[in-house]
Amino acid sequence: MLHERLIDALGADAVKTAPEDLAVYAFDAYTTGRLPSAVVLPRSTNDVSAVVRIARAYDEPIVPRGAGTGLCGGAVPACGGIVISFTRMNRLLEFDPVRRRARVQPGLVNLELSKQIASSGLFYAPDPSSQKVSTIGGNVATNAGGPHCLSYGTTVNHVLGLEIVDERGDVFQTSIDDTGYDLTSALVGSEGTLGIVTAVWVRLLRQPESTRVWLATFPDVEAASDAVSAIVANGIVPTALEMMDRTAARAVEAAFHAGYPTDCGAVLLIENAGYEDDMQACESALAAIARERGATSWRAARSQNERDALWAGRKGAAGAMGRISPNYYLQDVCVRRSTLPKALHAVEEIARTYRLTVANVFHAGDGNLHPMLCYDKRDPSQVQAVIESGNEILRAAIALGGTVSGEHGIGFEKREAMTAVYSTDDLAAMARVRDVFDPQRVLNPEKIFPSGSACPEVRPQSA
Amino acid sequence: MSIEALAAQLAAAHRERTSVTIVGGNTLRGMGRPAATATGILSTAGLNAIVEDAPADLTIAAQGGVTLRTLAQTLAPHGTHVPFDAPVASEATLGGTLAAGWLGPRRHLYGRPRDLVIGSTIVLADGTLARAGGMVVKNVAGYDMSRLYVGSFGTLGVLAQVNLKTLPQPERRRAFAVRLPEHTRGRAIAVLSSLRVPPAAAFWIEGFAAQIDGDDGLEGRLLVFLECSATILEAATRDLRSALGRAGVPETRVIDAGVRESFERAIDAYVACIGERSITYRVNGPLDEAENAALGAIELARRFELRTDSLVDVMNGDVILRVSDLDARALGSKIEMFDDALHDLAPRAIVIAGNHPSRPLLNVWGALPEGFERMRALKHRFDPHGVLNPGRFVGGL
Repeated sequence: MLHERLIDALGADAVKTAPEDLAVYAFDAYTTGRLPSAVVLPRSTNDVSAVVRIARAYDEPIVPRGAGTGLCGGAVPACGGIVISFTRMNRLLEFDPVRRRARVQPGLVNLELSKQIASSGLFYAPDPSSQKVSTIGGNVATNAGGPHCLSYGTTVNHVLGLEIVDERGDVFQTSIDDTGYDLTSALVGSEGTLGIVTAVWVRLLRQPESTRVWLATFPDVEAASDAVSAIVANGIVPTALEMMDRTAARAVEAAFHAGYPTDCGAVLLIENAGYEDDMQACESALAAIARERGATSWRAARSQNERDALWAGRKGAAGAMGRISPNYYLQDVCVRRSTLPKALHAVEEIARTYRLTVANVFHAGDGNLHPMLCYDKRDPSQVQAVIESGNEILRAAIALGGTVSGEHGIGFEKREAMTAVYSTDDLAAMARVRDVFDPQRVLNPEKIFPSGSACPEVRPQSA
Repeated sequence: MSIEALAAQLAAAHRERTSVTIVGGNTLRGMGRPAATATGILSTAGLNAIVEDAPADLTIAAQGGVTLRTLAQTLAPHGTHVPFDAPVASEATLGGTLAAGWLGPRRHLYGRPRDLVIGSTIVLADGTLARAGGMVVKNVAGYDMSRLYVGSFGTLGVLAQVNLKTLPQPERRRAFAVRLPEHTRGRAIAVLSSLRVPPAAAFWIEGFAAQIDGDDGLEGRLLVFLECSATILEAATRDLRSALGRAGVPETRVIDAGVRESFERAIDAYVACIGERSITYRVNGPLDEAENAALGAIELARRFELRTDSLVDVMNGDVILRVSDLDARALGSKIEMFDDALHDLAPRAIVIAGNHPSRPLLNVWGALPEGFERMRALKHRFDPHGVLNPGRFVGGL
């Protein structure tokens, strides 16, 4: 029996089989999947190998799971199987301040890493808004971004190497310094479909000498978007450039009292970091651009507390939506930065058509939109409106030359949209990689690749 | 030539079971093994269009045969750049530089070339076109195929178009030339990476007198490049000079004219050959071991009575070692044994330049990587008939 085999291998306390326990793992932060056959909580790479071997013997698919903060079903069992939860593999294994790198287990919480190494003057740059709970392993699976990837790059830019358990249960290592193909880059962002990450070498950066945070308000999101384009076009790439529309700013202010003005059309949160003298010059340049583009106010955070308060509002924005709506759907699309005003306009039109309230909180500097569509899930007509408008937002982004996910991933929620961005040949090239790493489609099946016959090569090869 | 014509050429090769050697600017011809079978030549020289220049987005799309010089000249008016730092920029192509997995000296500051690639169009072995990514700067829709193609040495497909993120150019550049007596070397190198304003590039050079400015006589020399804002340039200069002074370095000469040219000459030295009588290796390791790695390799070459020129990128830990002898025959009598001995010392050393006839006999890619079996499987899945650069890459990929 599957359960006995798992318990023999990992111990009873590391295997969950009760239906009420399993139910929790059928969800992530938004999507619902199927009940898994079992949930395991390995403590080591060897445990993970053992689980994979057992899963294969019982023909069970494998679904790796970090903190379950994903929004598109990446960590949710699409067709049952064994969920491998990494909550117990959460240690910082090695820290090398001289070479500015660390080796961590996948279940280590993102923010926890930077906290543990803070006294060295180093930090781990990727900072998804979920960083207080989301794990490095989950971040690797989705190639997570965050506000600061504007200048630091997404997770893949900070991964130096991986330890992987493959679909047979064997362990192998990758390093970006290896000759040959860059397997590390192929694995990062593959949402657990190419291998199971059991350790990550990450690159660490020196904490900047000076960090400044500014808040500018604008009469509307169009003016704020113009300011964003002007900043980038002036050759300033700040460490973060975040926007919030009126609806979002009000919700945040009600929840956090972060000091956001609520009487404006859009709030722009700008952070830059670097050398103290440069930051002073940067401040005047940014303030001038904001003024030219019609900013109604400009404020500089004067202390660490003020900076933290402004950021707390931004990072907690999704949570604050509870103030204005029982439920919300958070979309994730990315467009060219110069098309931001058009994209925001399209979102507004779509929400109006479907009579939904929309709040926008997003990574403006990257062109990465996060419209939050408010609804009440007890009303089926609203649920339907949200699904349809979510799809329309995807189509609008594609029409503007954008993509269907900037940082959250595809999971199973967005996989059908892949055909709108990529041709059959484009997807077939990706499927070739899958064929090599997971020929039987046992690793996180039914994710990323669209279902159906549109892409014959995307289905498993016949053995 | 169009992408379609290139695709048709590959489709024909695939059908007829022939193979091709892919050639861009041929500037890195000293990398890789010779093709395992007779091949036709597939040149990307005709793919030389800038497809879309989007300065407001800080992005650009260009065909694979565009030279790095053309790319730089296109971006310069916007005040942006793509700091790939490959040798012979006037001939090196975008596709070739990326396919070869070139790693330049400013990557510690600006990222690896792959980190600037946001999309690509590749022609696969059977002539199929496959796109990946796009023109947006953040994209997690599917696997990051573009990064897999970068560094694949043309064995998975031909990079027909590449979309890039561009970076704002630094406001100021300044170079520093420093004599480096042996007793100051360790400390001088060490202080560079802990400076408040770390240099964009820094080289410890011994030899390469014909390529790189400065006469080192019996001592080595340091060539340091700062890139920063005008606001902090003077402070950074003072810091650098006083740190080097504390390390015991006698004098730091500031160079403000021709900084870019001086930098490019240093980069060109990576692949500069002395007729047919030199072979150049690259050894990459941890930064804090670079000095010893270089000294070990130089000492080894001396034991073989080979002449050496060396350049150590002290910000990234790359050791570039050129060994040479009086003539090709003299080099030929030792180079294979030296190659073995060097790989005992540095298993991952690769050959990056050299016209010597025995180059094909050397271990040009160093030790096989751990994930090699998967790499071989990938090659087989992408190019089952071995159309693309057969046998040229590591382990015969």
